[in-house]
Amino acid sequence: MKRRQAIQRIAVMAGGLLALPSWAKGWTPQNLPAVQTFFSPLDQQVLGQIVEAILPESDIPGAKSLGVPAFVETMLADCYTKAIQENVENGLRVLESKAQEKYTNSFVQLPMILKQALLMSIERGSDADLKTFYDLVKNLTIQGYTNSEYVQTTYLEYEMAPGHYYGCVPV
Amino acid sequence: MNIQKKNKFDAIVIGSGISGGWAAKELCEKGLKTLVLERGRDVKHVADYPTAMKNPWDFPHAGRVPLAIREQNPIIGKHYLFTEASAHWAVMDDVHPFIEEKPFTWIRGYHVGGRSLMWARQTQRWSEYDFEGPARDGFAVDWPIRYADLAPWYSHVEKFAGISGNRDGLPQLPDGEFLPAFEMNCVEQHLQRSVAEHYTDRQLIQGRCAHVTDPQPIHLQQGRVKCQHRNLCVRGCPLGSYFSSNSSTLPWAAKTGKMTLRPFSTVHSIIYDEKKGKATGVRVVDTNTKEMIEYYAKVIFVNSSALNSNLILLNSTSGRFPNGLGNDSGLLGKYIIWHNYRGRVNAECDQFLDKRTHGKTPNHSYIPRFRNVFKQETDFLRGYATGVGAGRGFEADHSGIGEDLKNNLIHPPLGNWSVGSWMMGECIPRKENHVRLHETEKDPFGIPKLVISVGWGENEDKMVKDYLEQLSEMFDRAGFKNIRATDSHSNPGNDIHEMGGARMGRDPKTSILNEWNQLHACKNVFVTDGACMTSGSTQNPSLTYMAITARAANYAVGELKRRNL
Repeated sequence: MKRRQAIQRIAVMAGGLLALPSWAKGWTPQNLPAVQTFFSPLDQQVLGQIVEAILPESDIPGAKSLGVPAFVETMLADCYTKAIQENVENGLRVLESKAQEKYTNSFVQLPMILKQALLMSIERGSDADLKTFYDLVKNLTIQGYTNSEYVQTTYLEYEMAPGHYYGCVPV
Repeated sequence: MNIQKKNKFDAIVIGSGISGGWAAKELCEKGLKTLVLERGRDVKHVADYPTAMKNPWDFPHAGRVPLAIREQNPIIGKHYLFTEASAHWAVMDDVHPFIEEKPFTWIRGYHVGGRSLMWARQTQRWSEYDFEGPARDGFAVDWPIRYADLAPWYSHVEKFAGISGNRDGLPQLPDGEFLPAFEMNCVEQHLQRSVAEHYTDRQLIQGRCAHVTDPQPIHLQQGRVKCQHRNLCVRGCPLGSYFSSNSSTLPWAAKTGKMTLRPFSTVHSIIYDEKKGKATGVRVVDTNTKEMIEYYAKVIFVNSSALNSNLILLNSTSGRFPNGLGNDSGLLGKYIIWHNYRGRVNAECDQFLDKRTHGKTPNHSYIPRFRNVFKQETDFLRGYATGVGAGRGFEADHSGIGEDLKNNLIHPPLGNWSVGSWMMGECIPRKENHVRLHETEKDPFGIPKLVISVGWGENEDKMVKDYLEQLSEMFDRAGFKNIRATDSHSNPGNDIHEMGGARMGRDPKTSILNEWNQLHACKNVFVTDGACMTSGSTQNPSLTYMAITARAANYAVGELKRRNL
C-alpha cells in the first residue's frame, strides 16, 4: 500500500495524472459511450436478482453490495452481439415462465433458496440456449465479483506494484 | 525567405519511435539543430499515460473494449493490445486506411514514442550467424555489415537504455552490457536443466529485456528508476523503468536545447533538388489543418516504421527518381519480411506443487535459435528462437451457486503450473512480398494508400511444423503433461516485426541502402528503422534498430563535418 501511494505521488509530481488530456477522455469511465441498456425495467430487475442469487450477501459482501449487477448489465449492453443479447432477453423470459410453471410465482418474488434451485436446474439442465444464457450471466457475475476492489485487495493478493518477483517460494 | 529560415534545421528525423528517438538523441547531442516530426499527437512521459495508475476495477468493462468500437476497427480490434488499458495507443483502421491485398495485421503507433510504448521490450543482440545468413544460405543479398561493425553500438545503446540479462556465453546470442536479470521460476529452471541434460545444441536462458533492474547514474540522470514489477508496461511506465522514446531518448534530446518536436505532422514526401543532387527537406501535412508545409535540412533520417518509411520514399518522386527516392534498382518496397509467430506449444507441469511464485515478472525465458546455426541441417532454411513462460495461478471452481461458490472464488486453490511457448521464426525475404502505393486511392491526408501484399511461403510452413515437433519433444522430456501444439495461421504483421523494403546491401543494383544506411543514390537521406533490414533473423529487432541508428547518426555527423553531405 505504501509503495502504491509512493508511485502515485511520483507520478503526480512528475506531470500530474489528475488532468487528463482531452484525447484520453474517450477512454475514461465517465466518457465512454453511455450505456444504452436494452433491457426493460422488469428484465433489468430479473437480471439483477439472478446476479444476487449467484453470489448472495452474507457476512462476506455479495454481488449486490459490490456493484456487480450494474457491471453485468454494462457488459451485456456494450460487449456482445445482438444475437447474444437476444438470447439473454429470451433467457430471462424463459426463466420467468419456469418460475411460474414450477412455483406459480414470479422469479423476483421467490425466496433466495428457490431462485438458486431454479438457476441450478438450468446449469445442470440440457436446454442449450438457456444454459448459454445462464453461463454468460454467471461468468460475468464471477468476473465482476472477483475483479472488484474488495475481493481483489481482501482475498486475491492484488498489489499494483509488488516490487519483486520470486520465482520459487514455498506455498 | 523568412519562412524558409524559420523552417530550416540541420537535421530532420521523421518519426519518434524507437529508432527516431535514438536518431534525435545522437544528432542533438552532437549539436545538430534537429526537427523531429511525428504524425500523431504528443505523449509526454508520465502526464500522458492516462491508464497507468488504474486498478483492474477502474475499467468499466474489466478491460474489454466495447463491441461497437471493435467492429469499427476490424484489424486492430482483434489485437491483444486493444484493451481498455491500452487502446488509446491504437491506430484506428477507419482513420488511417490501408489496403490489404493479402491479409496483414498492421499494428501501428501514431503518437510521440510510437511503438516504443507498446513493445514487448525483448532485446537480444544479433550474432555473426545472423549477418552472414543471406550470403551463407543464398537468399536476399549479403549484408554490408557484420556483427563486429555493430557490437560497439550495441554496447552504446544498451548502457543508455538499460538492458537486464545474464551473460550466457552463447555464440549465437552475444552477451551485452547487462543489468541484473529477472528471476526464473521453478518450472523454467527445471526446463533449463532438462534441456541441458537432453540436448547438446540447445539452451534455455532468461530473456534479455529493456528494464532497469539496477539503475546506474545514466538511468537516474534520465529520471528512470528501478522496475517495481507492476507489469503494466503497455500503459506507459510512470517510473520510466522500461525503455521508451518518451522516458529516455526524447527528453534527453530535448535537454540539449537542439530538438524541435512537431507532433501532428505527417510526412508526405522528401524534397529532392535535382541541381544539388541531394535531398533538401520534407513536405509535411499538418494533420489538424491539412496544410502542406515544407521543412529543410542538410540531413534527413527516415524512421517512420518499416512500412511507412517505404511509403514516404515511394511517394518522393522527382524527375531524377520517378519511381521513388533512391529507387534506381526498382526494389524499393520489395523483400518485406516479418517474424513467424504462428507456432505455440503449451503444457502443464504437475511437479513443484509445493512451490509457487510471488510478485510479478515483466520478463520470460528464451531459447536462442538452435536450428541451422552453424551449418544447414534441416529441409528448411534458417530457424526460430522460442519464448517460454511458466506460471502458477489460482484456479477457482466455478460450479455451483451461492455461499459455496463465493467461498471457492475468494479462497481459490493454486492450479498446476502452466507452461507456454511461442516461436519467433526467421522469414525468408522474397521479392513478391512487397508494399506499393495505390494508383488512385488516397488517405485522408492526400497521401496514396499503402497496398500491402505479403504472405507465408513453404519455408515458413516447414519451420512451424519443426517448431511444434521440437518443442513438444522438449516439453515431453521435461515431464510436462497435456502438451498442446497449435499453428495459429495468424496473419503476417501480428508479430509487429515487419521489416525490409529498403534493404541494405553492397550493390546499388540490388539494394537501396549502403553500409551506413544512406540511400545509395541520395547520400544525405538515412533510413535506420525496420525498412533497412536485409534479413530478419529471429531476435526481436528493436535493439538492432537502436544500434544501427546510433551508428548511422554518428557517421552522418562526421560526414557533415567533412562536408560530404
